[in-house]
Amino acid sequence: MAKDSIKIRMPALGGQGAVTAAHIAATAADTEGYYAVSNPFFGAEKRMAPSESYTRLGTVPIYDRGEVIYPDIVMIYHPQVITMGKSYTMPFYAGIKENGLVIINSDVDLLSDSDKKFLDSMNVKVLTRDFTKFAVDLAGTELATNMAMLGALFGALGVIGKPAIEEGIKDRFLKKYVASGGTASLDSVIEKKFKKKMDLIEKNLETASAAYDLTAEWAKEVGLEPMLETI
Amino acid sequence: MTMKNTEMEEKNWSGQTMVSTDYILFEAPRTKHFMTGSEVLKEAMKRCTVDASVSYPITPQSEAAHLIGELWAEGYVGTYFRGENEFGVMSEVAGCAMAGARTVTTTSGPGTLRAMENFPMWSGTRIPCQLILMARGINSPLTIQPDNLEVSFLLETGCMIWYAENVQELFDMSIAAFTVAEMPDVHVPIITAVDGFFVSHTRESVMLPDDNIALKRYDPYAAPLPPIDSEMPPGRFLRDPFVMKSNYISYATHASWQWEVRSAVERSVPYAKHYLEGLVHITGDEDAEIVFVACGTASHQAKEANRELTKMGIKSKVVKLRTIRPFPHKELLEATKSAKHIFVPEFNVVGWLDKEVTQSLYSKSEAKIVGRPRVAGGMSMPVEAILREVFENVDVKKGA
Amino acid sequence: MSVDIYKINPEFRDIMPQEILDLEDNATWQSEGYEKRGINDLTDKKEILEEHSLCAGCPEAAALRYILAALPTPEETIIVNSTGCTSLMFPHIALHTVHSLFGNQNAVASGIKRTLAWRFPDKTKDVVVLAGDGATVDIGLDYTLQSFFRQERITTICFDNEVYANTGGQESGSTAKGQVFKMAPKGKVFDKVPMWELAVTSGVAYSVKLTASAPKKVAKVLKEAILVAREIGPTYIHLYTPCILEIGLAANEGLWEMKEQDKDRFVDFKYVSPEAEAHLKQCKKEGLY
Repeated sequence: MAKDSIKIRMPALGGQGAVTAAHIAATAADTEGYYAVSNPFFGAEKRMAPSESYTRLGTVPIYDRGEVIYPDIVMIYHPQVITMGKSYTMPFYAGIKENGLVIINSDVDLLSDSDKKFLDSMNVKVLTRDFTKFAVDLAGTELATNMAMLGALFGALGVIGKPAIEEGIKDRFLKKYVASGGTASLDSVIEKKFKKKMDLIEKNLETASAAYDLTAEWAKEVGLEPMLETI
Repeated sequence: MTMKNTEMEEKNWSGQTMVSTDYILFEAPRTKHFMTGSEVLKEAMKRCTVDASVSYPITPQSEAAHLIGELWAEGYVGTYFRGENEFGVMSEVAGCAMAGARTVTTTSGPGTLRAMENFPMWSGTRIPCQLILMARGINSPLTIQPDNLEVSFLLETGCMIWYAENVQELFDMSIAAFTVAEMPDVHVPIITAVDGFFVSHTRESVMLPDDNIALKRYDPYAAPLPPIDSEMPPGRFLRDPFVMKSNYISYATHASWQWEVRSAVERSVPYAKHYLEGLVHITGDEDAEIVFVACGTASHQAKEANRELTKMGIKSKVVKLRTIRPFPHKELLEATKSAKHIFVPEFNVVGWLDKEVTQSLYSKSEAKIVGRPRVAGGMSMPVEAILREVFENVDVKKGA
Repeated sequence: MSVDIYKINPEFRDIMPQEILDLEDNATWQSEGYEKRGINDLTDKKEILEEHSLCAGCPEAAALRYILAALPTPEETIIVNSTGCTSLMFPHIALHTVHSLFGNQNAVASGIKRTLAWRFPDKTKDVVVLAGDGATVDIGLDYTLQSFFRQERITTICFDNEVYANTGGQESGSTAKGQVFKMAPKGKVFDKVPMWELAVTSGVAYSVKLTASAPKKVAKVLKEAILVAREIGPTYIHLYTPCILEIGLAANEGLWEMKEQDKDRFVDFKYVSPEAEAHLKQCKKEGLY
């Protein structure tokens, strides 16, 4: 059932760091030797408005570009994506492929019966957890929600390990990075919260790691098959 | 003489009797005058009940532009002013048309390019304004001479493009242009192209109807989109939310809107056929194997060549394309049925008409298409040059 | 006559959404008898702006609401907008609005104003331009100033956030000297362009610079500008509406920032020509504002 490439769609709200997450995911995969491409949706960026980013990972070169219309994995970063329809697709899982995966950051179950029925029929597994709580508990800030989501993604995939995630996070936050306006503002806010950059890295890793373990455990429980081939 | 509207004689603000377009173009008695293209444009616009015009100087359209200004001073044109540059002018024209005015403007060469961003905006906004394009060469290097390379830049703007051959055609076409552009199922901008200097500054005889008649007023409430005048519920095209966001609805909306503009251009065909009396005009020998396909001045030059060839006992035909957008595919194919050699003489270096013709006739015609003679930068196209092409490409002893 | 165009066909009332019903039943259209529509209406009357998709806490959204509440005759007002953050609010306005290209807003507005004066010589129709600093001071400087030279009877409002916000935060002509933004990584080299002064030299009859920190102040200035544009000449309002995102503020810190700038870069500036002054006096006497 493992494929030679998978597509990930990450609907979020502006300011949550979904674009950063997509970038780190791709970088991490790239470190492990996978082919990887990441990009944000193309449009004006506004805080709390819909924001979407995409990551494509594969053991083969990836030519597909643009928005991911038919995802294998959909990661919902904020309940409002579903409850307020702050999404570019309706329903949020539109286009999802068979044997896919949905990860939802929420403390309550947001799916309707018909949602569940449809996803079941496609053998799509759904993980609903309060990943923001992870972030607040471990890193002391909601802004690390995206780190938790990243950990969950790789925990579910299983083929990319924690060292690669560490590389991805280090690459993003230690090197000089060209960010868009909103992202740059948030970077400086985050930096103010941590005395040293390395503190930030450490906290992010802890958060991602905890989410990784939780999701790997869950994947075993529900019998989630490997989605991506090993390199 | 059928003055059907004597019973309901309505006058416009300058006291002219408003008549049907058919009457002005086909029925009203005409008298002979002798004038340049620039001067004839004043005469045409004088009979068009024009609400608004905006001008800017650039050779060779400055004269036509200032003559429209005189019409305003004389009370024929509603509102008129000089804009700050062509980009500004075309945006001002857009504002006038959006607010419900029948609007005309003129430009040439570098001015056209300066205004470029406006033309797809015009067509997307579905405003039926008219641009008289007096074609002139594009920099670099600088030239103020006739050359119609600029038309190629306008081909995909979504505007209609008609091409006038001489002073007489400029008069009639620019009047018909308003009527066709303003049809509710068309309602897109129209560019009436004409060659600078060859027509704008050349004096020749023309037949004009009296100037006490004019087109009926433009009715902005018959438009497919409401005018911006706070007299009708607001139109939803430039400002709808789904066009402002990034999502699949907005992508599909944008694409379908643009397709609709091109469809609207195609819907002009029956009206253009009527008011122009055909999308193509054919002169010469019906069954000729040597066919010249041309527009504007090149068509004139081809007619000279046709005459010379006839004197030599060689048959030829001139197919003058009157509309470029919509492109007269069917009419061109029909007119070139007998062709074995098609020549496309042009006044530009790239041969944009040659490309259009070749693409149109691909796998439909057995004729060999030759995109020559091609002159540019102001060069005139003497008939000798055309004849030389014919003799180099056609074995005329075999009898054409 | 025009407020009728916003009225619902009685046969469709039962299927109309509440906000559309409210627009007819509870909005402050001038010809329905609301002689002094204004900021106080914001508490319980239906606004002409339904919602906006700007960042939470954006001062531009607040400023637009003040302006729409203060328009003397909204049903006869046409607003011409330009590309930028402001354009994201325009689809939600219940009036005739136009979004054209970028920088050509005053040119389009000139065409509209002249045509409306030609088509409706006996009616008062207000044409207002509302655009950001990039559109007004940089890419549109030519067309903005030229509309002033030509004495077009238009009110031009610049929402100045001192940056190209919608494209991610690049330096604009309106950025303060020394400020670091994208495309000015070493800090802006030249001074903030004094557009409100350029407006005066270019021939406006009324030019004001202020922040949007005080709603009623914005409303007063807007009313004055429109009244002067009706009879005297072009008018200009330069309004500070900071981009909280680009200057790293939280959603609720915009007001504080504007209050700070009331004392600094946006200290009050007001120019009123003698004719405009006389006209406003007359308007006050007639109770127009």
